[in-house]
Amino acid sequence: MIDDVMIIIENLNKHFRSGDALSKVLKDINLEIRAGECIVLKGVSGSGKTTLLSIMAGLDRPSSGKVLVEGESISKLPDLHISHFRAQKIGMIFQHFNLFDHLTAAENVMIPLIPAGLSMDEVNQKVQKSLKLANISHKTQSTAGRLSGGEKQRVAIARALVSDPAIILCDEPTANLDRDNSLKFIDILGQLHDMGKTIVVATHDPLFDSLPFVSRIIPMEDGSLVSTVPNDTLAES
Amino acid sequence: MRNSPFFHFLTLEFFKERKKHIGVIAISLVILFLLSSVLFISSSIRYSLEQTLEQEPDFVVQRTQGGERVSVPIEWTDGLLEIHGISSVTPRVYGRYFFKSKEDSFLVVGVDFMDEQSHKALRTIMDETDLKQFLKGENMLVGEGVSRYLKAHFYPKGYTFLTPKGAFKKVHLFKVLPKESNLIANDMIIVPIELAQEILGMSEEEVSDIAFNVPNDDEWENVEDKISSFHYDLRVVTKNDIKKAYENLYNYKGGIFLILFLITMVTFVLILYQRYSMVYSSERRHIGLLRALGWSINDVLKLKFFETMMVVVMAYVLGVALAYFYVFVLGAPLLREIFLGGVNLHNSITLVPILDFGILSSIFLIYAVPFVSAVLIPVWKIAVTDPKEAML
Amino acid sequence: MNEILLNNQVIVYLLSESILFGLLFIAFVITVGILVGWDFGSYSEQQFRLERRAYLVMTILLFVFTVKFLLLAYFVFAIDSLSLLVPGAMCAAGVISANDYGMLLLFLKLVILFFLLLWMALNRYDLNAKNYPLFRIKSWLFIAIFLVIAIETGIDFAYFGHIDTLEPVNCCSTLYGQLEGANPLPFGLNTMTLLILFYLLYVVVMGAALSSQRILFVAAALLFVFIAYYSVVYFFGTYIYELPTHNCPFCMLQKEYYYVGYLVWGTLFTGTYLGLISSVMEMGLKVEQGRERSVALILLSIFVLLCTAYVAVYYLRNGVFL
Repeated sequence: MIDDVMIIIENLNKHFRSGDALSKVLKDINLEIRAGECIVLKGVSGSGKTTLLSIMAGLDRPSSGKVLVEGESISKLPDLHISHFRAQKIGMIFQHFNLFDHLTAAENVMIPLIPAGLSMDEVNQKVQKSLKLANISHKTQSTAGRLSGGEKQRVAIARALVSDPAIILCDEPTANLDRDNSLKFIDILGQLHDMGKTIVVATHDPLFDSLPFVSRIIPMEDGSLVSTVPNDTLAES
Repeated sequence: MRNSPFFHFLTLEFFKERKKHIGVIAISLVILFLLSSVLFISSSIRYSLEQTLEQEPDFVVQRTQGGERVSVPIEWTDGLLEIHGISSVTPRVYGRYFFKSKEDSFLVVGVDFMDEQSHKALRTIMDETDLKQFLKGENMLVGEGVSRYLKAHFYPKGYTFLTPKGAFKKVHLFKVLPKESNLIANDMIIVPIELAQEILGMSEEEVSDIAFNVPNDDEWENVEDKISSFHYDLRVVTKNDIKKAYENLYNYKGGIFLILFLITMVTFVLILYQRYSMVYSSERRHIGLLRALGWSINDVLKLKFFETMMVVVMAYVLGVALAYFYVFVLGAPLLREIFLGGVNLHNSITLVPILDFGILSSIFLIYAVPFVSAVLIPVWKIAVTDPKEAML
Repeated sequence: MNEILLNNQVIVYLLSESILFGLLFIAFVITVGILVGWDFGSYSEQQFRLERRAYLVMTILLFVFTVKFLLLAYFVFAIDSLSLLVPGAMCAAGVISANDYGMLLLFLKLVILFFLLLWMALNRYDLNAKNYPLFRIKSWLFIAIFLVIAIETGIDFAYFGHIDTLEPVNCCSTLYGQLEGANPLPFGLNTMTLLILFYLLYVVVMGAALSSQRILFVAAALLFVFIAYYSVVYFFGTYIYELPTHNCPFCMLQKEYYYVGYLVWGTLFTGTYLGLISSVMEMGLKVEQGRERSVALILLSIFVLLCTAYVAVYYLRNGVFL
């Protein structure tokens, strides 16, 4: 349940250098996320929430500071290890879905499993399970490019779940969805929360403002966390 | 297969990039086809030549004066017969006979049909000929090239030679030599020794050279030393010398060709490097996404490496197979002239299929090593794509 | 000299070696950069660049190792076919000894392959660790390898450039033959004791490996390679050629003997290399190398079996020994 700390971020800074100019994208971020928690990073584009998410996922490295996941520092892991970490522990859902349009839904979903060296049967099993969870198994053999926005997002969810990761990170997941599909997405997110997964959503969609399973809404502005606003509607566990 | 999801994905990847790959395979095919064809032809001819050379006598004794070859007095044969270890001593008479046009010439070879032949091929030919009939009149055996020439110039039954002494000699065409002997006998006319001497203007005591065999390899050096001391103007040519000369000629020709080929390869490599370096932003996002989803640099390298090898192997197998078909089934219609050029008359030899491990591995190395080297750095560059690219 | 350098196989070989050297030079430049600038704890862009470049070095080395391995066989094959051009040479043995560079070249190649294999083993360990503990050792080892390969490439050209096609060379019977009663075997052994030592050492090697006595294993393996070489040339080889006076390590690479030489020498050296490297890794880095060791043992066993089989088959067919 919600006891140990999953993600610890200490004094995180990230800056980009372009020529002589130094642009600080993240300034002194300190954050603790407990296992099984679902938090929302709220802010407009440019507030740094995407960069923070990337660093949490091990896709980007901080300029200074530490990121610990399950007690292990991930900010300076060599490529082999950080890739393994990403494949096993993280499921990412992107704003633009980021599917391979020329591949089928099933083929898209199996990609994170390929480096693990499993047999074709094991892979198929996991893929089917994921597609079912994301409510998209009826489109298993469809080419991803031909799916609707909502269906694509669900394939993306299936892909994010296929290796049963402990952490799900979503970057503006509903930005390209209509209201109907957004609600469906939130529904699935709720199910994932019930499964015990740690979820971080970076968004400025107001639909996330008052969800029962969201424990905190953290506003971000100009690279800093403004304050931690606990979600009043969350019943104490 | 143990890693079949990987290979499944590999096939998908390969198919996705097929336009790029097919272009590369097409160029490779042309290069490989040319290279393989040339190598196949040259080694096949070399092989046939070697086979033919095997049948040459081990030693040939000639006479030189002032650096020029002159006819050998037939008494020299006696001196040779006395040496131990020598067999089938055969005085030979031969020379070039030029036809009216002065462009075409044939090799007139005189043979003592009564004697043991040191030339194994002649032996075979003689075994098949009805000698009694042949020796009854003034007859000749001709090679295919000769027979074709004679027919074309309306000499179907024989030919009247004009000897250097000014006399005319009419000779009947007895038989045409079989196709297999074409490599050496294409432009040959075989007649009895006395007739050859007449046609070539030599007296009865003169021969062109004396051939013999030395069955025991270890004796060769001894024999060569002994004979060289017989006469001051005597020159010995061994089969090994001839072999080596041909080997050098082929090496030389082959080497020059290979160097020219290398220049083509350099161009090819540059094209490759450029082609593979041209990574569109879509491919970067593509790889960036793989990396974001948990693929390590090693995994991407493995994928790209196998993709490259698929191209290499496909091009290699197809190129070599096509070349094999072209050379050994079709007979290499245009290219063969480069190698058989310089031969007097049009030669229609069949190319013997040679599939030599040395040639196959040489072709593979000269193609695959520069190829993979050229794409190593572009492939690495793309494999280390920052996974951040996926977020863009 | 000209004819040699224009020989097809020589051109292909020298070209390949040159290309490999070019790639290695790039890797060398990068490695020097790594040694100078590496700071694993740093978050700077430069450090990440170096880590990425390290992957290029790895890729190049893996490629170079594969090709050098193939080129060794190709080299021997090329030399063998050159025996037609070099007077007096009946097989590769004569051509190799055509000048002083030949044997040196062969020896260098074997050494280089060993160290490349070692580098790759170290690299695999290094990648699996979380902070690249071996990057310094790897880099210096690579620099050493690079220098040796530079020398080797130079000698490649020197060797082929100085093969005289006019001067006759000795063929294997002179080089390896037992002339004038002089004993070519080391330590004054005779054939019987040589064989006893051969099989004895094999048993020791197997035993040491299976009971994890690593130092004993390394010592025994090194000795075994040494003794095995002589055993093959002066005893087992004669059964391959079915001629008691034919002592030659190279003739068995020819077509007449079904190219079995490649298998014989291949299994011996690959097995020994793998065995030595796995022991070094286990002793130095405390890494479990069970699988590599098993492969090494299997290869060595195939080697011993192959040699013994030739003798056994001959005896069964003829009822006597040579």
